[in-house]
Amino acid sequence: MANRVAIVGIGQTYHKSRRPDVSQPEMANEAVRAALADAQLSMKDIESVFFSNMETFEGIYLPDHGMADEAGSFMKPGFKIASGGTSGIAAAKEAFHFVASGLFSIALVLGFEKHDAGDTTAAITAATTLAWGKGQARGAIGEFAKQASNYMKQSGATEEHAAMVRLKADRCACRNPYAHLRLGLKSVEEILKSGYLEWPLRLLDFCPQSCGACALIIASEEEARRITNKPVWIADVVAVHQEPFRAGAFCDLDGREPYSQDVASTKLYKRNGITNPRRDIDMAEIYEPSNWEEMFLCEVFHFCEENEGWKLIEKGITEIEGEFPVNPSGGVLATNPIGATPTIRVAECALQIRGDAGEHQVTRDVKTAVATALGGPNWTAMVLLRRSL
Amino acid sequence: MAQEPSQEYIHVAYTMSRPYRWSAGKYLSKLYKEMRDSKKLVTNRCPKCKELLWPPQMVCGRCKVRAGDDWVELSDKGTVAGYTYLVYPLWDPHAGKRVGEDHPYATILLDDGMYMVSRLEEQDKEKLKVGMRVQAVWREEGRGRGLDEDILYFRTIEQ
Repeated sequence: MANRVAIVGIGQTYHKSRRPDVSQPEMANEAVRAALADAQLSMKDIESVFFSNMETFEGIYLPDHGMADEAGSFMKPGFKIASGGTSGIAAAKEAFHFVASGLFSIALVLGFEKHDAGDTTAAITAATTLAWGKGQARGAIGEFAKQASNYMKQSGATEEHAAMVRLKADRCACRNPYAHLRLGLKSVEEILKSGYLEWPLRLLDFCPQSCGACALIIASEEEARRITNKPVWIADVVAVHQEPFRAGAFCDLDGREPYSQDVASTKLYKRNGITNPRRDIDMAEIYEPSNWEEMFLCEVFHFCEENEGWKLIEKGITEIEGEFPVNPSGGVLATNPIGATPTIRVAECALQIRGDAGEHQVTRDVKTAVATALGGPNWTAMVLLRRSL
Repeated sequence: MAQEPSQEYIHVAYTMSRPYRWSAGKYLSKLYKEMRDSKKLVTNRCPKCKELLWPPQMVCGRCKVRAGDDWVELSDKGTVAGYTYLVYPLWDPHAGKRVGEDHPYATILLDDGMYMVSRLEEQDKEKLKVGMRVQAVWREEGRGRGLDEDILYFRTIEQ
């Protein structure tokens, strides 16, 4: 029987397009110090560090080695995970596994990305294999544009619905001091005026490139009870990998192959006695690179029926005050330091469970929350958190 | 009191050239060779479930068995399953500059059930639709070496 594991410390940096004032290790250190302060621990207490970063985006080789001092991993074990958009949850998942196994009692998860160093879209496009459409792929933007056009056709969602999702994200972000884009958007019309990047994705439909970092301190039950009176328990973790090219897009439009989100969430819910996700879970922080994607993901994570993702936003269900809040932090639409983005999803869920989310604390009491990530190939990683086990 | 001088932050700017040489391997090479020399799309079949693998590869992920050399020629006709077009020019690392692309690009469901990402010849946005029938237009001169070079784009066809 594995040990119980909890999140006992949470820290993140503020997020901006550019951080000329800090190097990559200095920026990561801000999140490390914030998490240590939150847990009232010091670097000496950390036994191992699990990093998350996509090094081709910054062009810095082995960044985890270069920041051993700033991350507190000097002379300690650990490793870096680079699985695209799932990296930041994959690192948390591995820290969970190692602490649950009893090998470590206290571990640190550190997600970071300093996007001002390079060009992420160019890095993705350059590294695309011939089979995946090299020379034509336009990073993540092209894929999510195609997904948006498919979703529009299939579900009946309109550009107005997508704009409503951005409006919600921005309202939430304006209440979150750590969020990157806090635009103060007032209306759907304002969003529909923003130019297309790639049809039907508008500039305001897509996530930004942020500089930022997020750290979590993960501890065994014994340590967790000593460290804090508000441990957030990691009930379960799950990851599902899928070869994207066989399915053609991020999905099999033909329905021959299930979505990785569907497989991952079905497994997670079954293992944890969740029969009605929207009733049994109180809120979610999901990795939505575009507003269209949020509507679609709500369906494949079974927060609603198929082709009804847009109805959630129409009915206000996913708002901070709603029945099932989705991304009350402002989500990825507001803040996207890729290596840290999924770590922030876990951190934000944990803050909501603790009741420490401040201005963007959701109205309903959060006892159970789910954090999800979506990776470059169509990979899905999920973490289920609970106030009590 | 003298004002503290503000700190100067140094940026190290550089552009690096990263030449790579990827081996396509046994299976993809077969496809690329057929495309280059015979204007044909081919792939291999799983010996167990008999499903066509795509792109051609050595392992069937579903059956977890080694796929062999049971090669099948595929139709170069298909149906548009999703499409988009670039409005805001993006950095193209292959060209080293911002590139706007006139041709919309699409996920095409080939008639044998494979998806393929390629450009569409049709540039009139009003005429684009999911479900439209298309066929590959192959490059005649100066043969390329792979998917994006040997097929120029897909042309709208009647059936």
